[in-house]
Amino acid sequence: MNDTAGLLVVLSVMVPAIAVMAMLARPSRAPDQIAALAWPAVTVVTVTLAWTVIGNGAPVTYAVGGWRPPLGLLLRADGLAVVTMVMVSVILGLVGLAARADPAATSGTGGQRRSLVFWAMLLALWSALNLCVLARDLFTLFVALELLTFAAVPLVALDARVETLRAALRYLLIALAGSGLYLLGVGLVYARHATLDLGLLKTVVSGDDGLAIGLMTAGLMAKTAVFPLHLWLPPAHAGAPAPASAVLSALVVKAPFLLLARIWFELGFNTVTPATHLLAGFGAASILWCSLMALRQARLKLMIAYSTVAQIGYLFLMFPLAPGDDWWAQLGWSGGLLQLTSHAFAKAAMFLAAGLVAEGLGHDRIDGLAGASRAAPLSVFTLAFAGLSLMGLPPSGGFNAKAMMLASAVGLGEWWIAVTILAGGLLAAGYVFRVIGRAIAYPDPSVQVTPIARNRELVPFALALFALALGFVPLGQFSVLAIGVAP
Amino acid sequence: MTLAGVLLVATMALPLLLAAALGKRAVRDRALDLLVLAPFPGLAAALLVPHGSAALSPMRIVLALDPLGAALLGTASLLWLLAGAYARAQMAGDARAVRFAFWWLLTQAGSLGCFLVADIASFYLTFSLASLAAYWLVVHEGTSRASRAGFVYMALAVLGEAVLLLAFVMMAVGGDGNPLIAEAAARLPGSPHQGVVVALLVVGFGLKMGLVPLHVWMPLAHPVAPVPASAALSGIIVKAGVIGLIRFLPLDTGYLAGGTALTAIGLFTAFYAAIVGITQAKPKTVLAYSTVSQMGFVATILGSGLAVGSTTAASVTAFYALHHLLAKGALFLGYGVVAAGGARVAVLAAMVIPALALAGLPFTGGALAKYAAKEVIDPGAAGTLATLAATGSTVLMLHFLRMLREQPDTGRVAPVGLLVPWAVATVASIAIPYAVMDLLTGMTPLAALTITALWKAAWPILLGVAISASLIAFAARLPAIPEGDIVVVADGVGVHANRFGTALERADTTLRSWPAGVTALLAVALAVALTLRLPA
Repeated sequence: MNDTAGLLVVLSVMVPAIAVMAMLARPSRAPDQIAALAWPAVTVVTVTLAWTVIGNGAPVTYAVGGWRPPLGLLLRADGLAVVTMVMVSVILGLVGLAARADPAATSGTGGQRRSLVFWAMLLALWSALNLCVLARDLFTLFVALELLTFAAVPLVALDARVETLRAALRYLLIALAGSGLYLLGVGLVYARHATLDLGLLKTVVSGDDGLAIGLMTAGLMAKTAVFPLHLWLPPAHAGAPAPASAVLSALVVKAPFLLLARIWFELGFNTVTPATHLLAGFGAASILWCSLMALRQARLKLMIAYSTVAQIGYLFLMFPLAPGDDWWAQLGWSGGLLQLTSHAFAKAAMFLAAGLVAEGLGHDRIDGLAGASRAAPLSVFTLAFAGLSLMGLPPSGGFNAKAMMLASAVGLGEWWIAVTILAGGLLAAGYVFRVIGRAIAYPDPSVQVTPIARNRELVPFALALFALALGFVPLGQFSVLAIGVAP
Repeated sequence: MTLAGVLLVATMALPLLLAAALGKRAVRDRALDLLVLAPFPGLAAALLVPHGSAALSPMRIVLALDPLGAALLGTASLLWLLAGAYARAQMAGDARAVRFAFWWLLTQAGSLGCFLVADIASFYLTFSLASLAAYWLVVHEGTSRASRAGFVYMALAVLGEAVLLLAFVMMAVGGDGNPLIAEAAARLPGSPHQGVVVALLVVGFGLKMGLVPLHVWMPLAHPVAPVPASAALSGIIVKAGVIGLIRFLPLDTGYLAGGTALTAIGLFTAFYAAIVGITQAKPKTVLAYSTVSQMGFVATILGSGLAVGSTTAASVTAFYALHHLLAKGALFLGYGVVAAGGARVAVLAAMVIPALALAGLPFTGGALAKYAAKEVIDPGAAGTLATLAATGSTVLMLHFLRMLREQPDTGRVAPVGLLVPWAVATVASIAIPYAVMDLLTGMTPLAALTITALWKAAWPILLGVAISASLIAFAARLPAIPEGDIVVVADGVGVHANRFGTALERADTTLRSWPAGVTALLAVALAVALTLRLPA
């Protein structure tokens, strides 16, 4: 019952895992070369899979061991999954390129260990991310989330300084507490319904599962770092080396969110209830609170990290917008997922560019950014272009995403969401302009800068161009996201 | 692609490409030359293909010119060219010329784009580009005055963007994602949200035009920029707001409440800015207030047309805006000539023409513009007030000329590179209105030259001269109103904002502590669980 397309589903999870094992088996071999071999292989797999799913207009499923639920486990690549997987391939590939060009990120004191940890964890992340969007039962998803956490935490601590270790520990503890709540919720669901398969649960869950859903939701929100559970994100994302921060902010926090969205929308909570408004309220608080915090930051990387929490807030606005089948709801759903994708590209670009700027100036204090355009001119453009997407100015994916969500909010009469989206754009303009204005200023003649090699600036710039190019997708619902959603 | 397509695309693409070319060192050395080169496609498009259109389907950009858009595009391109030539002469040897050129070109691409894009998303794109890139023209000098002006400019510009985005999204509701502006505007009268959308449009575009009380950034921003940039900001960029209202308001079908409100705002702005303007001592600030006042008059025309539904309001507004664009450009460049070469009699005499043209001095382009405007403005109370607005303008511009006369004499003659663009702008401000009036409004310039029309244009000016003469005696007793007048109210906000920010940081630190974090985690779980039990 499993065909070759089903095999692709398995390969997308297994190939990165095999690469990790290869790295660990031969630690003396250069791990970046193994990663360089694995990247095209996994990318070919995910792109072929996406091609198949979109071409057929139907999801590809793989039953592990040939056993279907309720006995077996199911992996299923639907439209949302393949779009996410292709995005992950592209971003990981580009970030990997940037990391290879940056010897400092993976060498230095204990260089070999650092290099091994970085590349092994990067590929482990890839496997976990793919599994997060493919798995169909709540326990496999738990495993995927744990794998993701254990791959992400070492990336935070790559520098092995006291404050990064502390940040990593904080991240680990919160993520584990989140996992605990999630697992508790899974246990409650299993106790009541004796199945964990999303497809089967759809027909049986009800409001009586509120506690289970509440626990799982809170656990996933902690891992996504939405307000007021953002305590771990700013130190963790700001303390990691630039390529690691890029992956963490662009991809890692998105996986728990996608799972949360699946649980809510696929398990039939697809009506607007006080609970969906509560989630949107957390999102709105994230946007406003953390944008203001971003405005107040003195360091560039911390500013970008707070901006991540704010931008994640937009995703939570989807909960009251996207339920339902009408045009506005579909627009809200497409807009929200476009926001997820655009933010991934823009934020990866920003963290990498910020790393280069900090390297050129020797610090990342926003007040002292004058001279950045001399040290890393293209990176300042990268910050500006990626900033367009955060502000929601055209042409950028962020503009389309926010315009679509805004239209959805207006069409559905959710005025407070519309106002929040606009206010978030204003605040984002504030924190982006603060940086760009300083970065292009003429520095004091005494400021010494280390020029950055132009070719190292190209990768972040390419990521920012991706974020801009997403501004040319149609301003309507994306049919690809509907593949596999209908019952 | 047709000639029209090539020219329309090049109007926006050439400045953008030239800006990108500044990345090359060889180009950077000649950065200021690009300013003269960039506006030519716009000029050519306006002259050669006034009805041209082009659709760039993969990027869903639709470009289209109509006579109204072509006239504004052509004059705007001309002023960009003249101001660019002026900048080339003035800034030669300036180390910051490259950065100035870069933002100049981006602003230009956006502002010219506003006149020729036909779909909503592209309009938002070009409008934002013009707004945001112009920030760096405002702060170019790098003084503390410039950075304060820049902050106020940027804060209000971004606010305007947000307001417009909401308006555009509400207009696009019901069509496909990105309808043509004309279609969306035509649908507006049937929309239940018409009132809200019109209010949002007036706020968003009114910010750009400087309608009171959203004018505060203009008297701060226009004077601090370098002279050619002031000419572009005050002459051209404010017209992005004008073309926005022309394109988006349902002028043909009419909307009484919205039109009446806009007329009232416009008239109030016209008088308020004239009165505050005569208390100002710096010539460029006076000119900025004059722009505010003139845009108030433009809003009066639009409001009058909107109130009753008028098919001529759009083109008459465009005609009035076209004259203001050239006259204000000539005035700012003329100020620069005086600042560089002293208040010589010949220059001052020549400045009288564009200055009083803004009040409708007979035989100038301004007289034609005022004449055309009277055809739209309701002859009742609004008409009388609109006529008296010319008196206000006269007093304001005479005040400007007096301030100009007090500029110190440098003993040098202004270089030819400054004189020529100024002289051409002055001549154009007279000649072009005569040339395009019939084409644009269907009225003949001769109608404004009859004895009755001349008298109607002359008496408010004579009244203004009389008031101005009697004001001189009181000049010392006039209150000194700070630039940007009511913006000082906001100055106190900064301290409070800072205090709020500190409190927020403290709260965030508390939230990120372990006890708070764990409590929040459990509280979120319970809150979601409880709300899930609530009935929908």
